Amino acid sequence: MSTSVEPFNRLVKLAARAFYDDITTKGDNQPKAGGRSDNRGIAVVVLDALTRRQWVREEDLAKDLKLHSKQLRRTLRFFEEEKLITRDHRKETAKGAKLYSAAIAATADGQQVGKEGEEKVKLHTHSYCCLDYSQIYDVVRYRLHRMRKNLKDELEDKNTVQEYICPNCGKRYNALDALQLVSLDDEYFHCERCNGELVAESDKLAAQEVGEGDDNARRRRREKLKDMLQKMEVQLKPLMEQLSRVKDLAVPEFGTLQAWEARASAAGRAANGDSSSNDPSKSSQGLGYGGTPMPFIGETKVEVAFSGVEGKDDVKPETSTSSLKVLPPWMIKQGMNLTKEQRGEVKQESKMDGTLAAPAVELSDEKKSINGNDAQSNLQDEYVKAYYAALLQKRQELEEAAKKQQESSQTLNSNDVSDSSSSRQVGMKSKRVEIDGDDDWEEAPVGASTIESFKVNDLNFEAEASGDDEDDIWEEG
Amino acid sequence: MFFHIILERNMQLHPRYFGRNLRENLAAKLMKDVEGTCSGRHGFVVAITGIENIGKGLIRDGTGFVTFPVKYQCVVFRPFKGEILEAVVTMVNKMGFFAEAGPVQIFVSNHLIPDDMEFQSGDMPNYTTSDGSVKIQKDCEVRLKIIGTRVDATEIFCIGTIKDDFLGVINDPATV
Repeated sequence: MSTSVEPFNRLVKLAARAFYDDITTKGDNQPKAGGRSDNRGIAVVVLDALTRRQWVREEDLAKDLKLHSKQLRRTLRFFEEEKLITRDHRKETAKGAKLYSAAIAATADGQQVGKEGEEKVKLHTHSYCCLDYSQIYDVVRYRLHRMRKNLKDELEDKNTVQEYICPNCGKRYNALDALQLVSLDDEYFHCERCNGELVAESDKLAAQEVGEGDDNARRRRREKLKDMLQKMEVQLKPLMEQLSRVKDLAVPEFGTLQAWEARASAAGRAANGDSSSNDPSKSSQGLGYGGTPMPFIGETKVEVAFSGVEGKDDVKPETSTSSLKVLPPWMIKQGMNLTKEQRGEVKQESKMDGTLAAPAVELSDEKKSINGNDAQSNLQDEYVKAYYAALLQKRQELEEAAKKQQESSQTLNSNDVSDSSSSRQVGMKSKRVEIDGDDDWEEAPVGASTIESFKVNDLNFEAEASGDDEDDIWEEG
Repeated sequence: MFFHIILERNMQLHPRYFGRNLRENLAAKLMKDVEGTCSGRHGFVVAITGIENIGKGLIRDGTGFVTFPVKYQCVVFRPFKGEILEAVVTMVNKMGFFAEAGPVQIFVSNHLIPDDMEFQSGDMPNYTTSDGSVKIQKDCEVRLKIIGTRVDATEIFCIGTIKDDFLGVINDPATV
């Protein structure tokens, strides 16, 4: 928020210095205070202080600025009339004040003030004020526009009634008399009295320097206006630049006092949810306070707009995931043209691989086939093939292992054991599902080898073993 | 600006109109008397749209005329300062041009014509831009802003300007 507020704050400061520099907010009823309490510049100070705050209780602001609250209120009322700030007055108890304090505490740049005042307030009317940035932007723009337009109109004689003068008798006419002055003979106005040709006053000034004080004053005035316009353009240039800079930025909006309070305290709760012990009390106050739900309507509206902007991006991932969605088994029928993802094969396989912590390549292949079989009954054929392949491999391995055992029965290497045992386990499981009797003779040695290996092997093996255990359970279920 | 208002007037009716058609005669006389007149307060009475109510007549001593207080609805037209009007140019001269919007006469002095328009005298005096694209002459229509009014008891005279945004010629019959 601070990034977008900054240019607006600069705008406020510039405007304050440009337009409210010498504003005295003296009441009409105290003219005698004149020289002693010259409070010019207070307006600028107050506005500057407001740029560093959001909603602020006026008493707190007065305390911070070391101003008398009456004086501050007069200044604030002036700014309210100038449409620079919004104010909110409400009767509130100590509780309401606390709510405000909580909100203040939640905002990052809010000053921690006014805590000590809580006990004193009992159903007093409190006033809060806040800069209204969007309105400030408009007000400043309008003010500049009016200034420029007024000067230009004056300069160009836009809305002035042309005056005519008779050079002979000095009688003056203005444009409203035009109808009586037109003559049918020529295209000039003629004096009613002497029938002399009238001249427009400014033309007369240009033609003959009569040196009449009135005319000179008029010309001087023109010069002055031109000068003024130029000065204005130069001196207000920073302000205009700031206005154009701010033009396309999102205006920081604090909402109404209630909305802001609710939002700020909610944000505060979210930010340090479990940090302080008095948080629950805060939240309960927030709930007890009637205005809480309303502000959040505004909040959700903002979110809706946000999603609308990014609608495209949101839709895309949804569709892509839905295409990858695994269809439940009861929806899959024979002859359906489904991808593997839809059948849920690939995912499960990858999952299995993940849990199995990358064993030997051939093992994983075997397991895949096993999983595929277990998962989908209509892949029976594939399974059978794989099964026989596995069986064949198994037999070979068994033979090799037997040879090995025969060769070096006492000098069993732990790595060898792990390899052989794990491969045996896989093969064994696949058999266990279908054929039990054949494998009975194998079980004893395998069990022995795993027990042995537990003692010697490392973590990697344990993980593998646990993965196999899971497989077992899954298959049986 | 036009207004639809209710006005009241005391009508004096000659005894020869008394009879079945007294009310019709009264209304006809009212229209003849009132329509097209101008009062400083309400502006020009453009048209009478209806008779609201005719009060009790009072016979004048000596003459036999009867005075009826008549309330009537009418449309009035009153120009205001700052109002934008469309008007037809009636006369162009060196000092500016005259235009009329209905019953109202408006004078636009040459100071209130955009600076890029020059007066061209001749058979058909006119104000023309340097490139000749815009020409103000008799009978062309202009949109102007009233910057001053003089309201007399029986007439209203205005001065206008076309030296502003969106003002100037809107339809030139000579070129169409």
